[in-house]
Amino acid sequence: MEGFLQNYGFLLVTLVQQALLALSLYFPFMAGQLSLASPGFYALGGYIAAIMATVDSCASLRNALGWTIFPLEWLVAALVSGILALIVGIPSLRLRGIYLALGTIAFVEILRVLFLNLDITGGAIGIFDIPQLFEERWSYILIFGPLLVVVLLFIHRLQHSRTGRAFKAIREDELAAGAMGINPTYYKVQAFVIGAVLAGIVGAMSAPLLNTWNARQGTFDASVSYLAYVLIGGSRSLWGPLLGAALLAALPELLRPLRDARLIMNGLVLVVASIYLPHGIVGALSRLWSFFSTPSAARGGE
Amino acid sequence: MTAVQFLQNFLNGISIGSVYAIFALGYTLVFSILGIINFAHGAVFTLGAYLTYSLAVGQFGIGGLFADLQLPFHFSFPFALLTGSILSGFAGVLVERCAFRPLRKRGADPLLALVSSLGVALVTVNVLQYLVGSEIYSFPSDVYGDIRPAFVLHFGEKLVVIRTVQIIIFSVCMVVLALLGYLIGWTRIGKALRAVAENAATASLLGINVDRFILYTFFLSGFLGGLAGSLVGTSFGIAGPYFGVSYGLKGLAVIVMGGLGSIPGAVLGGMVIGLAEAFVPSEYSAYKEAVAFAFLFAALLIRPQGLLGRSHIQKV
Repeated sequence: MEGFLQNYGFLLVTLVQQALLALSLYFPFMAGQLSLASPGFYALGGYIAAIMATVDSCASLRNALGWTIFPLEWLVAALVSGILALIVGIPSLRLRGIYLALGTIAFVEILRVLFLNLDITGGAIGIFDIPQLFEERWSYILIFGPLLVVVLLFIHRLQHSRTGRAFKAIREDELAAGAMGINPTYYKVQAFVIGAVLAGIVGAMSAPLLNTWNARQGTFDASVSYLAYVLIGGSRSLWGPLLGAALLAALPELLRPLRDARLIMNGLVLVVASIYLPHGIVGALSRLWSFFSTPSAARGGE
Repeated sequence: MTAVQFLQNFLNGISIGSVYAIFALGYTLVFSILGIINFAHGAVFTLGAYLTYSLAVGQFGIGGLFADLQLPFHFSFPFALLTGSILSGFAGVLVERCAFRPLRKRGADPLLALVSSLGVALVTVNVLQYLVGSEIYSFPSDVYGDIRPAFVLHFGEKLVVIRTVQIIIFSVCMVVLALLGYLIGWTRIGKALRAVAENAATASLLGINVDRFILYTFFLSGFLGGLAGSLVGTSFGIAGPYFGVSYGLKGLAVIVMGGLGSIPGAVLGGMVIGLAEAFVPSEYSAYKEAVAFAFLFAALLIRPQGLLGRSHIQKV
């Protein structure tokens, strides 16, 4: 057991962390919005945690709080991410269509340039020697695991609430939803902010895990990966992002023997999956399920 | 800022701005016809740069499968530029065939075309990395033939330096823009393209083969992307297979600035962003990369239809 945890514990933590980031994109997707902002908020949350954990001016706070500084970091990261998401979300989400995707690409790039050049974020080197919450890396499952459970329960409850139904209405037809008295901008911004807060918290939790934090944490490449998790897993069910993240985040490990050709395979997976699995893996599975569970007479024409 | 400094920045700005303009036109052409952003455009840009380099210089570095390879021939720069761009045009056609057409035939969600084109981009960039490695390639200074590397204008004590490359870039872009304007505005092909962009269903009822014109559009888009990549590559060098990513993203800022789908808008947007970057004071030059994206945000806030875009009224 000990050896297993040593070897696969970190992979497991990574999978849960990636699944959480995929879910952070799933929230805007619930309201039919394509956001690429998660890596930006993830990087931001990480920097907040890293700065609070290392800067001298926070030393007295750290001494006073002891280990409770960590939950405080998560809280600050969540707050800052939420406020920033409002600032980014409102102008982009007044508009319909591709604008949120474009606005969030711009957001991630602007943040990246800022992190790379500001003094407080350590420039190109970043911040290192971030104090650890646990001694063993696999122990981080003790914070990521419960967070994942809470988020899944939250989504499950949300889907059947008034807000969740509003998201769904906007996703199906924004104009019709607006005509029914739902304020599309309000709900779209709400979905975007929830996702941003989640990504910020995951970032704040990941900074101690990774020990160093730099501008490479939030890039366009990461945006593409998270998007692929959601769309390949299936963007219409909460299990989609989970499954997509688990499969695609494990893919580099599985493809390790291919070495340099690994990323080529990654790209091919994206192309093939978007053509042949338009509703993602979960969509394909549920279609398969309904095919076998319906009596053949009911299928008609046979 | 003195007048001389202004002139220097202005000249730098219109040179790089003209490249942004032709690059962004590649996005715009596809967007105006399909209503989709082709995220593989940045990869075609990179591919074009490597193709032109291979044809004009043909000396590969120490990494990748082509390590230490020296091609037995090399073309003069203008011919290499043209051939490289035409080959990029065919790469654009390949992108349409692999990433867009299968999805269109299935009537899939347009968001998926975004993912499949990103997938094609990922494959292209990593195949390049596999073949040529990730080192920096730069064009030798004598690649344009026997001409002086720069012109210096004297204004009393002050100097304005114009690199020959900048003049080449600007003139090539202007010629291409003029040709493209002629093609779209005054030829049968252009008329058909405009008809498809206006309404594909009606165009097909009028006897226009829509699929063929979509292919033409992707060829033009790839040609412009490859040309832009080659020009940037010859001016600043090719900084590895990922060097197209940031240009690809900047191109998005340009088309939003100009107005999605607007051809004059893309040209104007490219110039505005090129000039804005050139006027960033040198002490803030590290933030230059963020300028285009700041403009994108400003456009979303103030004028989402872009400088020259039409605002659409959604009909139910």
